[in-house]
Amino acid sequence: MLNKIIKSNEFVIFLILVGLSLIVGIINPAFFSLSTVFDILRSSIVFFIMAFGLLPIVIAGGIDISFVAIAAVTSYSTHMLLLNRGYQGGILLYYVIACGMGLLAGLLNGVLVTRFKLPVFDVSLATFTMWYGFTLFFVGATANFDLPPGTVGYYGKFLFTLQDPLVGETGLHESILYVIAIGLFIWWFLKYTTLGRGVFAIGGNREVAVRSGFNINLIMLITFAIMGILSAIAGVTQAFLSRYFNPVIFISQPLDVLAAIILGGAAITGGRGTVIGTALGVLLIQLINRTLILTGIPVEWQRLVVGTILILFTSLPAIRDLRARRVGHTTELVQAE
Amino acid sequence: MAEEILRVEHVSKRFGGVTALDDVSLSIQKGETCCLVGENGSGKSTMIKIIAGLYTPDEGDIYIDSHHYKKLSPIESIHEGIQVIYQDFSLFPNLTVAENIAINEQLAKGKQLVNWGEINRIAREGLDKIHIDLPLDAIVSTLSTADRQLIAIIKALLANARIIIMDEPTTALTQKEVASLFKLIDDLKTRGISTLFVSHKLNEVTEIADRTVIFRNGKKVMDQDAKGLDVQTMEFYMTGRHIDTSAITFGEVQEKAQPLLKVENLHLSHGFFDISFELKHNEVLGITGLLGSGRTELALALFGELPADSGKIFVDGKEVKIKGITDAVHHGIGYVPDDRIREGLFLEQSINNNIVVSIVDRLINKLRLLNMKGKADESGRWIKKLDVKTPSGELPVKSLSGGNQQRVVLAKWLASNPKILILNGPTVGVDVGSKAEIHALIRSLAKEGISILLISDDIPELLATCHRILLMRGGRIVEEFKREETSEHQLSTELVGASGPASP
Amino acid sequence: MNMEPKTKSPGSIKRFTNPLKGIQIGNQTTLLLAVFIVLFIFFAVTEDKFLTGRSITSMAFQLPELGVLSLAMMVTILTGGINLSVNATSNMAAVLAGLFLVKFIPPEATPQQIGLFIVLGVLIALVAGWLSGVINGFLIAYVGVPPILATLATFTFYTGISTGLTGGATVTGFPEQLSVIGNKAFLGIPIPFLIFVLLTIFTYFLLNRTSFGFKARMLGSNPIASNFSGIDNKAILMRIYIISGILSAITGILTMSRTMSAAYEYGTTTYVLLTILVSVLAGILPGFGNVIDIFIAMLILQILSTGFHMALLGIRGSSFFKDFSWGVLLIIIFIINYFTRVRKAHE
Repeated sequence: MLNKIIKSNEFVIFLILVGLSLIVGIINPAFFSLSTVFDILRSSIVFFIMAFGLLPIVIAGGIDISFVAIAAVTSYSTHMLLLNRGYQGGILLYYVIACGMGLLAGLLNGVLVTRFKLPVFDVSLATFTMWYGFTLFFVGATANFDLPPGTVGYYGKFLFTLQDPLVGETGLHESILYVIAIGLFIWWFLKYTTLGRGVFAIGGNREVAVRSGFNINLIMLITFAIMGILSAIAGVTQAFLSRYFNPVIFISQPLDVLAAIILGGAAITGGRGTVIGTALGVLLIQLINRTLILTGIPVEWQRLVVGTILILFTSLPAIRDLRARRVGHTTELVQAE
Repeated sequence: MAEEILRVEHVSKRFGGVTALDDVSLSIQKGETCCLVGENGSGKSTMIKIIAGLYTPDEGDIYIDSHHYKKLSPIESIHEGIQVIYQDFSLFPNLTVAENIAINEQLAKGKQLVNWGEINRIAREGLDKIHIDLPLDAIVSTLSTADRQLIAIIKALLANARIIIMDEPTTALTQKEVASLFKLIDDLKTRGISTLFVSHKLNEVTEIADRTVIFRNGKKVMDQDAKGLDVQTMEFYMTGRHIDTSAITFGEVQEKAQPLLKVENLHLSHGFFDISFELKHNEVLGITGLLGSGRTELALALFGELPADSGKIFVDGKEVKIKGITDAVHHGIGYVPDDRIREGLFLEQSINNNIVVSIVDRLINKLRLLNMKGKADESGRWIKKLDVKTPSGELPVKSLSGGNQQRVVLAKWLASNPKILILNGPTVGVDVGSKAEIHALIRSLAKEGISILLISDDIPELLATCHRILLMRGGRIVEEFKREETSEHQLSTELVGASGPASP
Repeated sequence: MNMEPKTKSPGSIKRFTNPLKGIQIGNQTTLLLAVFIVLFIFFAVTEDKFLTGRSITSMAFQLPELGVLSLAMMVTILTGGINLSVNATSNMAAVLAGLFLVKFIPPEATPQQIGLFIVLGVLIALVAGWLSGVINGFLIAYVGVPPILATLATFTFYTGISTGLTGGATVTGFPEQLSVIGNKAFLGIPIPFLIFVLLTIFTYFLLNRTSFGFKARMLGSNPIASNFSGIDNKAILMRIYIISGILSAITGILTMSRTMSAAYEYGTTTYVLLTILVSVLAGILPGFGNVIDIFIAMLILQILSTGFHMALLGIRGSSFFKDFSWGVLLIIIFIINYFTRVRKAHE
């Protein structure tokens, strides 16, 4: 059992994570503080949620980029809706309404893909463009800082707090609980439900999945619904954490979320992927992005470092495969005595 | 007294203008191993599909136990205990052994939640049924073809199969694995499970079948006890004629100062060892051997896809280095692959494009632009010369039959004016008519000056085309035969031969 | 276009060769032409300012940048890959050329000398584009990294180069002569538009009339078979990505000239997605696709943008309606294509 863990993709990522942390920490010991951990976690929260929502679709063999647009349109529209009605209450209603919209938006993708047999990516490209355009034109084009009184304090709701000499008061935000709950749900869905196993089946061999009797359309609709709902949650959460609603939230980040899932061990062709691996992938990307500053590398060159790391990470598995190719497969090859 | 499980009566099936099955009647007894034999296009695959409920017969009736069907659906077929094992074994390569075995039962029972303990129990039960042991958590893509086939059979058994249908099950198995499979089929027999087997490997059929059914041109021409039916008789019924190699004219091999191709001590790790031979001008040289003998590796080495680690290759007396496919093509070597769908053809592209793809660099005019007319002329020429049956060269090549597709692949290489053509299993999946024509083509190509290296395990094919035949085993060349000096019987025996390392 | 590596067939794209022009026309082209004509007439009728020389000219200035970048994307999709780094390459090329111009032109240079420097600057940009193509091509063809991952990584890498060299700031202070390329007209036709048309024609000939283009398409159709047919896959892919890089660099030059500035962040991810959208609209698939369709798709997107902008002038956020319209248009085209495919399958 231990052997299996060590050999898994997830463990490798974990090691890389630890390794990178050590390197950064050695260069700048300020890294080794709880406030850094809280900080990384806080900025990762919404990415965890979006990545968990995207994961089933990737496992099923698809690539989707519209989830960011759904996050934007649902969060911003909900806000404008409630704002116009003079809403004064708390966060719950935001989540409920946004999730409802997210469900519908996700299902739109799902229906287009299943009913019209369209490629997942192409549909997501169309809805990505459509939803951002919709938000900007029909709902509003400016960032809005008018949060209802019941929600204003949310960004500061910590589970634990501590005093850091450098930063002052920091803490672990309570929305990490959402992440844990969502992560558990997705994990449970993928591992313990037949529909979830169907996601793997579709990603492994679609034709056989059909032949075996899986209801492909239902499974795809459900994964899109999940994606839509989780994107909405991410959008609303991000808005509350940063205390403003942004109509173009996450617009330049769909590929980052995808990269995190792939780095976490999911296959780009589908059939493979885990919640833990995805979480580690998100942490890895966040770690790289946010702690580079502690290493003393000048801000303007950090992007380049990230790019170099990405090139290396994506090349390694490919190099490994290259070596495996050039051999024959003759049985009982007789060597000279 | 064996009881009858399945009976089909006076079944006919037509596709467009082609009659696939013509008034065929057949019955399967309980615990019987029945082999369907016939050339490609004879109707045996169609028969299987009708029994599995995938096709509906245009005429005829199907009786399973006492149930009468005019139209059989796949679900009904499965309910009646008919299980088909497809070529991909209906397995998920990314899932474990246990999950693959248990998945159908989960779905059949409509279970929404997964109980892994239950999955493992079902899987273990399945493995026990045929007394084999595979790690339950092994990912299926890491298993050998033989093991995957076993899982497919387990799935069929767990679904309470009464008849298991297998289509060419031994294609990708080594000799030992074939022996295991046959033992398993015998075991199933004792439990009253019938096996319906489609095969073109006649020597295997004689080994395992209780009853042999031979199809030819959509009709059933033989249906009897397999005992006493030898390969030659089977072939006679399959083709409607004796294979009379004496009537075929072979060109003469030219003994020139230097052979066209000479190979010295070629070696490829995990591929082949110490290979040396010569290919003379105007010669057709056959290379045969079982799966895993290294014959395909040798072909790929000569073509540059799997370059040899050491050794020398001489073309027309000059030493050449073949480190990649472009080298091989540059030296006039062409390769017609056995997997023509994946490796030989661009299915969605037009027939014309498929034909000129290897010589497109030659079809340019002074401005370095493609000479469109020249391109059309060239492909038109080859369509005519090789008799590719199509209304237009612009149609995608996937619209062609297997035999015609093979002609397109041949055309592609012939257009490049090769000196040496390596053919790997050129008539697999090709209908009877095309097969004989392709053999004639091979002989005439050699006569015209293109020497041919023919990789095949089809003994009659080798005897119909080759001047000499090399036998490979365990990565070495173990024997050489001259066509005039050997017989089908000798070759079959030698091919199957003793397993294990070759004697020096 | 299908991003999932299991590529699907394009249905049956019927082709007939027009003996007069020798240009191949497919079903997608017919559809796109129809859409273009419908939209053009619609806007010409409803918006009286639509058909003015000024509006057409302004459209002709904006669309070439996206157009050339879309060509850069198209050639890679044709071979079964994708190039997410087109925009980053474009910016990097502009930044490198820009920095050169700003830092190396002596203040007392004569107009002729400045012209020379500009030419040098353009060359630098092209070399940067070539380099980007070499790196992408190496990773994809020789190391074997899937194109989407490789270009995702290089996208960050090239942006990183731009960010590092500029410190995040925008490069400005170019000599005036530079603006000629992006802002002036030749015989009444805006130069950028001319460049776009010329590059479209060039790409057309490259992809449809050279043996290289033929091989690239076959490679896209079935890389395994193309390898077994004697095509040097690695060399072809390398060349394709180099062409993609150079086209991206040209876009950078156009943008730099029009805006008289260069920055690491012009456009960002969404711009890349837009170029993919153009290819999807144009029906580009591995092994199949026509440059003409890219051109028409670009025109459609442009008139939707300008048309709705005019129609909604005065309404807040009017310039955003185009994104919404593009998304909806794409979905409509998808659905039409679905029914066309279904009908064809029945024949």
